[in-house]
Amino acid sequence: MSASAVVFEEVSKFYGDVLGVNLVTLNIPPGITSLVGPNGSGKTTLMNLMTGLIHPDHGRILMRGISPRDPESLMRITGYATQYDTAPRWATGFTFITTGLRLYGYGRAEAEEKAWKALERLGLTEAATRKVAAYSKGMRQRVRLAQAIAHDPELLVLDEPLNGLDPLVRAETIDLFRAWAAEGKHVILSSHVLQEVDIISDQVVLIANGMIMAEGTIRDVRDEIEEHPSQYFVHCRDASGVAALLFGEDHITEIRLHDDGKGLLVMTRDRERFARALGRIALDGHPIDGVVPADENVDALYEYLIGGE
Amino acid sequence: MATTSSSGRARALDFVRARQAWTIAAVELRRAFFAKRALWVYGLALLPTLMFFGHGVAMKYRGDQLARRGVTPAALLDSVRDGEAVADVKQRLGKPAEERWSVRSERVQRDSGDTGETTHVIEPAVETRFVRLNIIRPTYSGEPTARIYEFEIYGPDGRENLARGRSVTGSIPCSPDQGPEKAVNGSVSGGETDCWCADDRPLFLQVDLGTPRQVKRFVVKHASAGGEDKESDTREFNIQVSGEGKLFTTVESSSGAAFVEERTEYRSLTYFDGRRDAQFLFVDGKLESSHINRLLNFEEDRMIFAGVFQFFYLRLAIFFGCLGMFMYLFRGEMSNRTLHYWFLAPARREVLLAGKYLAGLIAAAVTFGGGALLAFTAMIWPHDAVEIQAYWNAGGMAHAFWYTAAAVLGCLGYGSVFLALGLYIRNPIVPAAVLLAWEGVNGILPHVLQKMSVLYYLQSLCPVPAPMDGDTPMLVRMLAAPAAPASRPAAILGVLVVSAAVLWIAARAVRRMQIAYGSDS
Repeated sequence: MSASAVVFEEVSKFYGDVLGVNLVTLNIPPGITSLVGPNGSGKTTLMNLMTGLIHPDHGRILMRGISPRDPESLMRITGYATQYDTAPRWATGFTFITTGLRLYGYGRAEAEEKAWKALERLGLTEAATRKVAAYSKGMRQRVRLAQAIAHDPELLVLDEPLNGLDPLVRAETIDLFRAWAAEGKHVILSSHVLQEVDIISDQVVLIANGMIMAEGTIRDVRDEIEEHPSQYFVHCRDASGVAALLFGEDHITEIRLHDDGKGLLVMTRDRERFARALGRIALDGHPIDGVVPADENVDALYEYLIGGE
Repeated sequence: MATTSSSGRARALDFVRARQAWTIAAVELRRAFFAKRALWVYGLALLPTLMFFGHGVAMKYRGDQLARRGVTPAALLDSVRDGEAVADVKQRLGKPAEERWSVRSERVQRDSGDTGETTHVIEPAVETRFVRLNIIRPTYSGEPTARIYEFEIYGPDGRENLARGRSVTGSIPCSPDQGPEKAVNGSVSGGETDCWCADDRPLFLQVDLGTPRQVKRFVVKHASAGGEDKESDTREFNIQVSGEGKLFTTVESSSGAAFVEERTEYRSLTYFDGRRDAQFLFVDGKLESSHINRLLNFEEDRMIFAGVFQFFYLRLAIFFGCLGMFMYLFRGEMSNRTLHYWFLAPARREVLLAGKYLAGLIAAAVTFGGGALLAFTAMIWPHDAVEIQAYWNAGGMAHAFWYTAAAVLGCLGYGSVFLALGLYIRNPIVPAAVLLAWEGVNGILPHVLQKMSVLYYLQSLCPVPAPMDGDTPMLVRMLAAPAAPASRPAAILGVLVVSAAVLWIAARAVRRMQIAYGSDS
């Protein structure tokens, strides 16, 4: 299991006195995993730790069984698209990728073939002979992705890969990730925009202030925070009447009236008892039109975990 | 069996790593050669070549120029002896290729009892009523104020001072108690108010003798006669006479009271015998000294080359050149935020270090090894083909080789040092200064410490010791020459060991290095 997973064991990293990440323990199986957190939460630090650009002050990291301190082995199976522009001033999209491939030991012909393939997958064939320095932001993003996938890695680490891509390319890129993940490979990407990753991710890792807040599938993550209050949206005509009744329940922590007066946002510590209470209220003659969990998608969870308090 | 296969795999891995290093070097060569900030490095590398080439061209041109004006037999050049007169030399050797002369006038103090007094006798005596003293340059110090303590006029019998107490006019005085009458009051000993002082141009003093008198002798008593500084004595003046006070005739022009001008004539004749130019220097017509030099002195040029190579090329050009070429191999990528491109390659950090070092070394070795060879060629080029052939056969080729080798090994040594420094330090100026000082004082350090510098070994490799005159100060000699030079194999080994040690430290640093561009995490 651990030989094919990305494993962090109590990893901490400090930048001087400033904490980067704190006691991170992770076990990421193959598939698409999204690191989600606001800017400065430690997503890039985690990715730099995975790829050995920085080393942990404490703890141990294994990437499919390989230590990041051994770039010779690790980078053979890993592709990392950073947020930084990597290409030297003189490089064209094509030479940028072939130069990298030569370091993998590919001969000229093989390197060129693989480079064309990668450029084609990201729709950069036409721009290949132009200098990277002259590329637009989206094209640079794509050429970094092309470079990361060119050597067919088992482990793709992508820092904000969807940033700056237009919708069409974004959809194609997401398809690419899915195809990659379907082959049993790791695709680890980061984002601070949840909507763009919650549908495509097999796993999410919520991170804030250098700490892992939750990890797993979206449902797992929610179960994991079961003991924390859950949020529901209650559709009803007599919102204030229902609210008055719900206030009597000790598991309710917060009730907010919706602006249009036809609904309530309710927070409860106990879903079972909340469901029973709603049943009683409905039987008492307060019609309830529907109950929708408000935190079913990562966004709400995320807002709760990070943006909320 | 298993051993064979594992050693075979290790060998294959070594091969892969070597190829990776070479791939990195090939990419980095471009950076090392064409970086904008490396352009001045080429200037440093080519400076000695330009210098020797320029010298060669200048000497060839001068030889042609001299030859066109006539060639004098060598024996005649050698026949000229000290003390010979200009005319004799010219008669025997013919028209010189070049002749220059100059007259230098010097102020020397006249040894005349030093009273600040000048006497002027005119022959024959003239009859005149008005006598005028015109001051042209009032002092030697440059101060524009004239001071005359006494102006005396004597007739042919010379007994009576005709001017004393006469009516006198002159330029506006410096102060009311320094009027013109003080110059004819018969006294000089009354201090500064006992003279005529004026700074209003024109500066003149005019005595009316009352009636026309026979005048033959004048005595002027200047500033120092009244006890002032000699520098305040009148430097240039004249005396005019007039019967009616309108039209004046100059009867005496004089310069200097206590000082006189002394003139010396210098003359130099240049002759050329086809190879040597002879410069004969005559002072007041007599041969004072002669300099006979070969226009192109091969032996001298080789010594100059040895000096330039050791003092400029090894100590400064290669030192700062390597700073420019190696320091930024890592530092430049850190500030450009591109270093992670290499760190994300499937290569050990040591391989990256090796690749970058190799690129820098190739660029520096081509630049400075080539520069040394080019300068050596430029030094040899203008000389006589026969001489060059003889030199070449007598070890000249080995000299060229060792100079080039020393330059290349210098790049190897300094390159490793600056590559390592670039990993640790952001600003190169302070470490470079410290290092330059360390390499500079190396000669006076204990022997053990000497071995920890690059220069020590490089100097030992130079085929010709740096030129040192007997009167070179002891300190300079100690600084410039290694106390106990190493043998060549030991020197080469030494540079390699020093470089390997520095590279080992650099490898440790690069292995621990983390990408920290700052910004967001």
